[in-house]
Amino acid sequence: MTDEYANPWLYRLKWLYMLLLVVTLMSPVLYVMYISFNANGFGARSYDFTLEWYRLVFSDTLLLNALRWTLTLAVVVTCITVPFAVLAAKYYKTAQNKLPVVFLLLAPLFVPPDILGSALLVYFKSLNASFIWLGDQLGTTIFDGWFRLSFFTAVVGLIIYTIPYAFIVVLITMGRYRTEQTEAARACGADGWRAFWDIEFPQIRAGVFSACSFCVILVFNEYTRTSLLKGGFDTFTTVLISQMLNTGMSPQSYAMSSMVAFTAIAIIGSIIVFTLIRTESLTRMARAKAEPVMSS
Amino acid sequence: MSETTIAKDMPPAVEVKNLSKHYGPVKALRNVDLTIAAGEYFVLLGPSGGGKTTLLRTIGGFHKPTEGEVLLHGQEMGHLPPDKRPTTMVFQAYALFPHMTVLQNVAYGLKVAGMDRRSSEEKAAAMMDVVGLSGFAERKPHELSGGQQQRVQLARALVLDRDILLLDEPLAALDAQLRKDMCLELKHLQEKVGITFIHVTHNQEEAMTVADRIALVADGNLVEQGKARDIYRAPVKKFTASFVGENNILSGKISNVNGVSCTVDVAGSQLVVAKRGQEVTHGQPVDLSIRSELVQLSRANGSNNSGDGHSILGSYDEAVYLGLTTSHLVRLPNGVEMTSRTISDAVDDLPTPGDPVRLHWQPEAIRLHTS
Repeated sequence: MTDEYANPWLYRLKWLYMLLLVVTLMSPVLYVMYISFNANGFGARSYDFTLEWYRLVFSDTLLLNALRWTLTLAVVVTCITVPFAVLAAKYYKTAQNKLPVVFLLLAPLFVPPDILGSALLVYFKSLNASFIWLGDQLGTTIFDGWFRLSFFTAVVGLIIYTIPYAFIVVLITMGRYRTEQTEAARACGADGWRAFWDIEFPQIRAGVFSACSFCVILVFNEYTRTSLLKGGFDTFTTVLISQMLNTGMSPQSYAMSSMVAFTAIAIIGSIIVFTLIRTESLTRMARAKAEPVMSS
Repeated sequence: MSETTIAKDMPPAVEVKNLSKHYGPVKALRNVDLTIAAGEYFVLLGPSGGGKTTLLRTIGGFHKPTEGEVLLHGQEMGHLPPDKRPTTMVFQAYALFPHMTVLQNVAYGLKVAGMDRRSSEEKAAAMMDVVGLSGFAERKPHELSGGQQQRVQLARALVLDRDILLLDEPLAALDAQLRKDMCLELKHLQEKVGITFIHVTHNQEEAMTVADRIALVADGNLVEQGKARDIYRAPVKKFTASFVGENNILSGKISNVNGVSCTVDVAGSQLVVAKRGQEVTHGQPVDLSIRSELVQLSRANGSNNSGDGHSILGSYDEAVYLGLTTSHLVRLPNGVEMTSRTISDAVDDLPTPGDPVRLHWQPEAIRLHTS
């Protein structure tokens, strides 16, 4: 509902405020993107457009490997986190006492990343030592390396990190879902899985896909937990930050940063554009069918 | 439903034996026994929170019984989920699939059953005709009115050819006029398809309109069951009398027991009532009920003698005009209010508030309740 008596200038002022806020927040990112296309690099007086820095990123084996690891991490973490978040959200909806559920699922949000990362590091190191000791006692090497820092430990750390976000995103879309629909599907002969897949999933699909996108972006952007738990490989962000710390920002670093930003913006932007187009199309369809038809 | 339509050797459509459902300390159902014949329109009537929906959902497989058995067509099915039972259900609201068209909603169960798309759509379209929804196939549920949405639910349930249809307050979300129309439609539809309908409602008018038989459910107990007319005209339990129809409930003590009748002292008046097989003793507290439309009002003419055992004295309180009828409220000497309901235009000369009046009735109109 719009207030037709409201001052139109106040309305415009609110929009201007929001626009300024977004531009202020995004301007450093936009500036990095701008530099990444300059052949003369940061601080140069002249600007010559180039894609050279991006070409260099893609010809660097270290970076390509890091990109491959990052994508693998993102896919594995997403595949585990999102189904778990869907199950957790379903459980939350039916739970009588919701507070403990929400506390348990959101708790990782309230722990600073370096504390959670280092706690997990200590935990995995102790667990690894304990399992090696157990193997020694049993005269076997089968337990060696189960909890050595590796892809697995990084995945665990990132799952703990991403679950609260995925849970909230799925829960928001699931909040509108009425469980009577699942019961109606069961009454029509569908088993539990079929009722979920045919009836519930199509209605929470936007939330599930958003949670997937969120997970991918979070894994791409995460540095602290990944660097502490990753073992013998590098991700895009760890390479970027170690380059920045060791040799300072290079034009290549700007290109890498821009790529991460482009990816995130492209994913989020696609979701927003898709949602807007879908909403518009649904509204148009609803308007077209608004002409009443009387039942006989 | 005609009694002759029920084959004598046929097992009942639904048989509930000693059924209990507990949620922790809360006892939603307590040792309920119930039998519903095939092809019957059966109504579970009662106040909100009484357990009628729990009973319906337990029959449908949405709740697992804590104790007892649920037999459908003679087979124990208490352990089976809803999709494995010969039942289907119409919900109060919000149960249509919003991302599907009306046709897809109606055809959904057929699709799940593995019927090919063309046949399922043809069958669904035919069922939509039956419930008066032809022309709505491509609409989405949100583009329909409340009544139309409930018809879609009906079509979706009936198209499955299951022989027990459960209706959980299917008309509760509709406005009064639509509810009346839909009541009759439901009744006619049930007669047409001939399957068992089990309908939950808290609305007695709705129950009376559709039911072959009614069961009163309150506080987790099945209070009383019987034909709709019997439940209205001859309630056995005090709760039934207070819930169904507009009954005056009078509390008193037995002052005399005499063969087939007894006398009850109510606010100083000695009222005679038939025992109807109930055992009572002198001094026992009992309740009497009498429907307000069977109570006649007259001026007391200066006499304080209630006399014949079929009338009671009081003072006129007020008249409440209800359109077709008018309720006359009379205060008894013990402070209890009694109602006499008459056709509005039948009485011209109304007493003024405070006037002494006599309420009287036919001897068979009053009923004794010991529980």
